[in-house]
Amino acid sequence: MSVPTDLKFTKEHEWVRIEGDTATFGISDHAQEALGDIVFVELPEVGRSIDAGEAYGVVESVKAVSDTYAPVAGEVIEINEALESEADLVNSDPYGVGWIIKVKISDNNAETELMNPEEYTEFLDE
Amino acid sequence: MSDLLKTPLFDAHVAEGGKIVPFAGYELPVQYSNGALKEYTAVREGAAGIFDITHMGQVRVEGKDALSFLQYVTTNDVSKLVDGQVQYSALLNEQGTFIDDITTYKINDEAYYLCINAANRHKDVAHLLKEAANFDVTVTDESDDTTLLALQGAKAQAALQTIAGFDLEAVGYYKFARGKIGSAGGIISRTGYTGEDGFEIYIPNSIALEVWDALVAQGAVPIGLAARDMLRTEMGYALYGHEISDAVTPVEAKLMWITKLAKGDFIGKQAVETRKAEGAQKRLIALKLTGRGIPREHYKVFVDGVESGEVTSGMHSPLAGGGVALAYVKPEHVTDGALTVEIRGKQIEAERTTTPFVRSNVRK
Repeated sequence: MSVPTDLKFTKEHEWVRIEGDTATFGISDHAQEALGDIVFVELPEVGRSIDAGEAYGVVESVKAVSDTYAPVAGEVIEINEALESEADLVNSDPYGVGWIIKVKISDNNAETELMNPEEYTEFLDE
Repeated sequence: MSDLLKTPLFDAHVAEGGKIVPFAGYELPVQYSNGALKEYTAVREGAAGIFDITHMGQVRVEGKDALSFLQYVTTNDVSKLVDGQVQYSALLNEQGTFIDDITTYKINDEAYYLCINAANRHKDVAHLLKEAANFDVTVTDESDDTTLLALQGAKAQAALQTIAGFDLEAVGYYKFARGKIGSAGGIISRTGYTGEDGFEIYIPNSIALEVWDALVAQGAVPIGLAARDMLRTEMGYALYGHEISDAVTPVEAKLMWITKLAKGDFIGKQAVETRKAEGAQKRLIALKLTGRGIPREHYKVFVDGVESGEVTSGMHSPLAGGGVALAYVKPEHVTDGALTVEIRGKQIEAERTTTPFVRSNVRK
């Protein structure tokens, strides 16, 4: 799967797309592949404040339960409600319609720990 | 991984993209390249799925005392079996708790065949050999020589008929026949663990790959452990180590229907009678979440806000459209009280239901 060049990644296999003061979160193609068929996504409430690195939601596959961690800090402004009925969008299009939440960035310092797609690919190869 | 065993089909699983995991002492595929959900769907929606369950054990019991021996070591009434019939049953210890759950195949009055769980094999065989000392029987562990396949789903019979040398239509539910299969012979029973019509196929290891390939060529979809567990849980079937174990008796596990107290003496009978009279400390129920979430094994179950027990098997059921589970609760909560399952610290509402959680298509 081709990785959009405007994404940044964490070691926990999350991705973030930063546009102005808004950030969109999701899990990487590698993460969805490792989890297998995703059947349930637990989303946070809109308005909740999340710290960088904090578990903000849960992705469950047939056999596994996995927390999702915020790549940057922010306040939840939108959740992908489509995932409540079609959790498998995370499998089929992890960088597109399988996004999980959007936040209004409150503290961007953590961005220094993020990897660009090339660095993430190298990280996966290690 | 060096101590793990491989079935004769290991290379075939890898070739199909099987993701291999350790399970009951074997290296087995948890899923193949298309994933567990597609495998599940193939079995539920009209295809046929093929499962390598060679890890399960087979024990032959033969001799003049075969019937009286099996009446004594198993819970069900073996005298009710006719030749060519299969019976779900259990082995109990003197405490009345489960050594294993098994199926008993009657070949004739002096020859029976038991199918046992992989993880319990050596314990079961040691138990059977010890008890057999008091009877005129021989107990033979044939597990290492036998490949066991399950072929489950609406297209199972048509696919299997192409390699079976006898008419499968004549093999009824929980019946079996012996005869030619592929280039050798074996046993085919109309049994399974999925709630779909289908068969279990006992063959010598020498033709395992031949039979597997022939059935895959007929369109059978290889099914891994994950989808097998989904199909089993959706039917509410008990699994050793989850609903049943050496910590529960048939009274707790809702398995008195295979425990025939009126048939005469058997190991564990007295303990079961005592437990039945005194009442169980917990009982198995089926529940469906009305809130969102997946109830998983060991999640706590609450009734009217107070902890009552825990989930033993649970899943997201695609067909039921939500979370379903088997769980142990206190006896007074089997029918009464507001039920919730604690999922990550939150109480998610649930309702009692009956099994199977979705329609069964077994041919009765």
